[in-house]
This record gives sequence, structure tokens and C-alpha cells, in this order.
Amino acid sequence: MIAQLKRMFHSTVFRLSIVAAALFVASSFVVLGYIYYATVTTQLSAIDQDITVELADFQTAFDAGGPNAVNQVVVLKIIDPSQRSFYFYQNLNDAPTTNLESQPLPDKPRGPNETITFNSEIRDRATGKGTGVFHRARGQYQVLAPASVIFVARDTEFIMSASERLRRALMIAMGIALALGLASGVYVSRSFTRRIDSFNKLATDIRAGDFSRRAPVTGSGDELDDLADHLNGMLDHIDRLMSAMRYAGDSIAHDLRSPLTRLRTTLEATAVQVKDPQAVDALHRAADNASELLQTFESVLRIARLEAGDRRELLIDLDPKPLMDDLAELYEPSCEDAGLSLSWNIESGTHIAADRGLLSQAVSNLLENAIKYTPRGGEINLGLIKNRDGRVEISVTDTGIGIPQEQRQRVKERFVRLEQSRSKAGSGLGLSLVQAIADLHRATFALGDGAIMDKNNNTAGLRAALIFPRKRR
Amino acid sequence: MRILVVEDDEIAAEYVRKGLMEAGHVVDLAGDGELGLEMVKAADYDALILDRMLPKRDGLSVLAAMREDGDATPVLILSALGEVDHRVEGLRAGGDDYLAKPYSFAELLARVEAIGRRSDPTAAVTKLKVGDLEMDLLARTVRRGEENILLQPREFRLLECLMRNAGRVVTRTMLLEKVWDYHFDPQTNVIDVHISRLRSKIDKSFDHALLHTVRGAGYRLQV
Repeated sequence: MIAQLKRMFHSTVFRLSIVAAALFVASSFVVLGYIYYATVTTQLSAIDQDITVELADFQTAFDAGGPNAVNQVVVLKIIDPSQRSFYFYQNLNDAPTTNLESQPLPDKPRGPNETITFNSEIRDRATGKGTGVFHRARGQYQVLAPASVIFVARDTEFIMSASERLRRALMIAMGIALALGLASGVYVSRSFTRRIDSFNKLATDIRAGDFSRRAPVTGSGDELDDLADHLNGMLDHIDRLMSAMRYAGDSIAHDLRSPLTRLRTTLEATAVQVKDPQAVDALHRAADNASELLQTFESVLRIARLEAGDRRELLIDLDPKPLMDDLAELYEPSCEDAGLSLSWNIESGTHIAADRGLLSQAVSNLLENAIKYTPRGGEINLGLIKNRDGRVEISVTDTGIGIPQEQRQRVKERFVRLEQSRSKAGSGLGLSLVQAIADLHRATFALGDGAIMDKNNNTAGLRAALIFPRKRR
Repeated sequence: MRILVVEDDEIAAEYVRKGLMEAGHVVDLAGDGELGLEMVKAADYDALILDRMLPKRDGLSVLAAMREDGDATPVLILSALGEVDHRVEGLRAGGDDYLAKPYSFAELLARVEAIGRRSDPTAAVTKLKVGDLEMDLLARTVRRGEENILLQPREFRLLECLMRNAGRVVTRTMLLEKVWDYHFDPQTNVIDVHISRLRSKIDKSFDHALLHTVRGAGYRLQV
């Protein structure tokens, strides 16, 4: 889980979608912020303008009728029950005419049309006393004449609280946008990573030799589908080239079989007829060589046949133990003659879907390889176990010359023989046949280090294992 | 033995005919399935070599028709299809043995002689004898002359197979099939090693050898 998260944070798509989400949030912040600003400030400046106009009206009234005229207008406005404004008028040192609880005028004089914001206690209209509820308000004052000052303010509580609600809503919206951005980033990157992973898995499988795999096409027609199409086209092409090459090899093997068989028959027949022992010997040697060639061709064709068709119907459910016991018994004398000790650990009660003939061919190839490449005094172990994953594993482990790590994949290909095996007889087809048989059984053919330690405590030799798939219930 | 070879490849058929004649058999050839079936009905053969893929009528159908008629002539099926399932199919259809192409002539000869003789009533045999070598199948004992020979179970079966075919060549592949019930090709001399162990037990301390190696073919137990 943690590794998965870590992987996700490292994925390009996740990072990109996080950046995209951040940009989205930032831009919506700007847009929403502007909307907020515009709505609130437009309303407030309308109020300010309104106040300026009203102040100008008072100036006109003062110029026409003096302080009394102003006083009269103020009183009328104050007693209007629908009034949402505050007024304060003081002429000289008279008691001010006002509906304000407190004196909002600043200590220091300010410039004309300068807005003053303050909290005003709301007066109960019936009693004329303060209610203890404060509303936000904004107003301006004007000096009508020396020592005659009028102040007009509007109750902006409604606008201010509305704007506060708006601001809160915008913040929440922003939070939701951020969360959604993150969530979609995670979702997009996961689905994208999954598809990229399928490409990576494909490449691994192909490199492991499973050429039947193709990239998945979702049908959405996007760039990844295009990429999958191109990759699949490329793989088809490589597959065609490879099978053309294989086909050429197979046809050569097939076409040369009949003439070679006749050659061998002629040699054998002639060997019976001639009397000269030297000639008989030479004819037999020639016939043996022809047999070897035929056997090589036969192996090539056999591998081709195994690879060509899905022959799963051959497989039957069997316990490989008797087969392994027999093979151990069959090969024990050969091991002894080669100065090797053969041991086995064969578990009973395992079951696999297998073909008896093919399985014995595969294991005998492995055993013969082990005998061939293990120097005298070495050990060979034949194993049949249920491994830790619950899969049945048949293995041949030896203390022989082994196969270098980097060559282990290559030796499973046809006709590949390593430098150190050139001196020995063989066609380079044994392990290819094992691989083909393993494929037919859907088993993994793994080559690893021999588990047997040599005198210097180094692992020596080779462990060849056929790991069968778990049985489906 | 009188042997009928049903094979459409004329050159191959001619090789087989020549080889079998040199081994002392009387050989007739048939080039297609229908002709082959007619000839089997018309004459009494000791063995039939039958190609699977034939013009007009395929080998398995010829075999089925023969068996339906109650004709028990031993049949060796030849086929280019060497896989196990084809072998099983061929044997199930009533074939007595199965040989995949390309085969060596020695293998063909050994096998056809083995099935030809199989029609002899040998089922009730409890004792086998080759020269001074005796095998008691019930008591599972082997003795040569006055000497008891102790054999491992597998060696016993190996010797039994050779004794049942005494005087005839038994190939390595036949031994692998009959003694171990394996149908695969070992790339090495795995059978030879077993034979040499058996040989050291039955021949080593005696003045004349019974178990002979036949170059290019296999082994023969003979006085």
C-alpha cells in the first residue's frame, strides 16, 4: 500500500495532474475573487456616491435656509420609520440632532468625501434607547459652514454580512475544487499508470520469450491506443519474421528427412551385404552419422510441432512421482558410469496436468545435460516438491560447470551452444525442447544456480526447474 | 514370414521390400488403402506394415475394416505423425505396434518380426529358456547352468523382454517402450548402461556369451 502510494507520487501523470489541479484552483480563486470584489465594492461605492449626493443636498439646503433648514430635513429623515441611515448634525455648540448613539466623527479632520467605517449601535425606535446590537455602517461628513457639520452614514450590515457569507461560500467552493482536483489527479494517474504498467508488463513478457502477448487496445482511440496499435504491429512484424525464419529451418529439416532416411537405409543395407570388416565399420559409422542428423532434424520438427499448436488436450491429471522414480532408476547407472552420485527427493501426493511422454522427455533431457556437464565426482539431484507458492516443481540440480547468468535465457533458444560445451556432442536443441514442453504445460522453465555448495562454499553448477502452474479448482 | 507392405511412397516401399526380402521374408506391396484391404482379404499374411496416410482409404480405416471382419493379422502402423496422441490413436484402432517416420530399417525389421511372432500362442508360458539360461516367470528366478542369478526387478524385466524375443533383434527404443513404458528418445546411451549391467550378471563368468550387440540395431539374445 505504502509502496503503491510512493509509486503514485513518483508517477509523471500524478505530478502533472497535481499541477493541473493547483492551476485550476488558483485560476478559479482569481475569478471567484474578482466576482466577490466586484459585487461588494460596486455596492459600497454606490452607497458612497449616494451619500455624496445627499451631502450636496444638505449643502444646498444650508445655503438656502441656514442651520434650521438642515435641522428640519435631518429630523424628518430620522423620524421616517423606513430609515436605514444615520444622521448627525451639529451647529455651533448646540445639542446635535442625530439618531446615532455615539459620536462617530474623527478626532482629526479628514478630506471631503472620505469614507468613515464604524460600528453603530442600533437604537430602538419606540424607546429611543440603544439595543446593544451593533451594525456596520459607513458614512461621510461635510462641513456646511464653519462649526456646522453634517454627517451621513448608511447601515451596511446587510451588505457586509452577505459578502461574508459569499466569501465563506467561495472558500468552501475552493476547498471542494482542490479536493476534486486532487481526487481526479489520483484517479487519472492511477488509470494511466495502469495502462503504462500494461506496456511495461508486455515488454517484460516479450523479453521473457512470450511472443504471443500483445498490448491491450481499449478502443478509446487515444494516443495510448495508437501506441498500442503501433507496438502490436511491430510485434506482429517481428513475429512474422521469426516464424518465417523458423519455418525455413523447419522446412529444410522436413525436406531433408526423406533423402537422409534413404541414405541411412542404404548404408545399413549395404553394411549387411559387404564382407570386408573395415567397410562394414565405415558403413556403420556413416549410418550412425546419418542417424544423428536425422535425430537433430527430428528434434527441430518436434519443437516446431509443439510450438505450432495448442496441444493442451494431451495433458492429463497425473502424479509425477512414479515417473520421477522411474527416471531416477533409469539414469542411476548412467550417473554411476560417469562417476556421479545421483540423489533424489521425490515427494508423493503432488498432482499436475501433464503428458507422460513429453514430461519424461523434458526431465531426461535435463538429466542427460546434467550428466554431460558435471565432472566426475560430482552430484546430481532430482527433485519433485511442492514449493513455497504451492506450485509443483520438478528440478535437476548438479555440481557441474553451470551456465553464466547472462546466458541462461539464450541457451533455451534453438541451436545455441555455449563455448564451454562445444567440445561435447550435442545439437543445442535439448533445452529448446524442454522450453517447448514447458510452454505446452504452461510451466515455467527456470535456470538458476545449483544449490549444492562446492568445497570453497561457492554455489556451483546449475539448477534447472520446471515449475508447474497451480491447479485451478 | 509373409508380409504385406501398404505404402504409397514407391521408393520407400521398395526400400522396405528389398530390406525385408534380404532378411528372409516374402513381401507384397500395395500402393493404396483399397488395394491393401483387398490383398489382406485375399491372402493370409503373417504381418502387415500399414502407412497411416494412404490414397483412397487411410490406414486407420483399413485397419478398422480388417478388425471388423475378424482379421487378426498383426499390424505395424507407420506414420509421419510421431506424437504420442497419434500413437495412442493407432494402437486403440487395433494396431499391434506403431512406428514414426523417419525410422531406421533395423527398427522396422525388429518390430515387424516381434509382432509377427506375437500371434503364436505364448500367453501361458511360465518358463523361458535360451541355451542354459532359464527364467521362471512365476518364482521370479533366473539361473544359468547350475548358478542362480540375482536380478533387480528392472533387470528381470529387461531379460524377460530379450528372452521372449530370443533370436531376434530388440532395439533400444523397443526396450525403453517395453521395459520402462517410455515413449521418448534418450539422447544418450542410457539403455546400453543397463544392458551392460545385465550382461555382467548373465554372461561375465561363463565361457560363451548369450547377449549380443547388433551393430546399428540393438541387442539379441542367442545361443
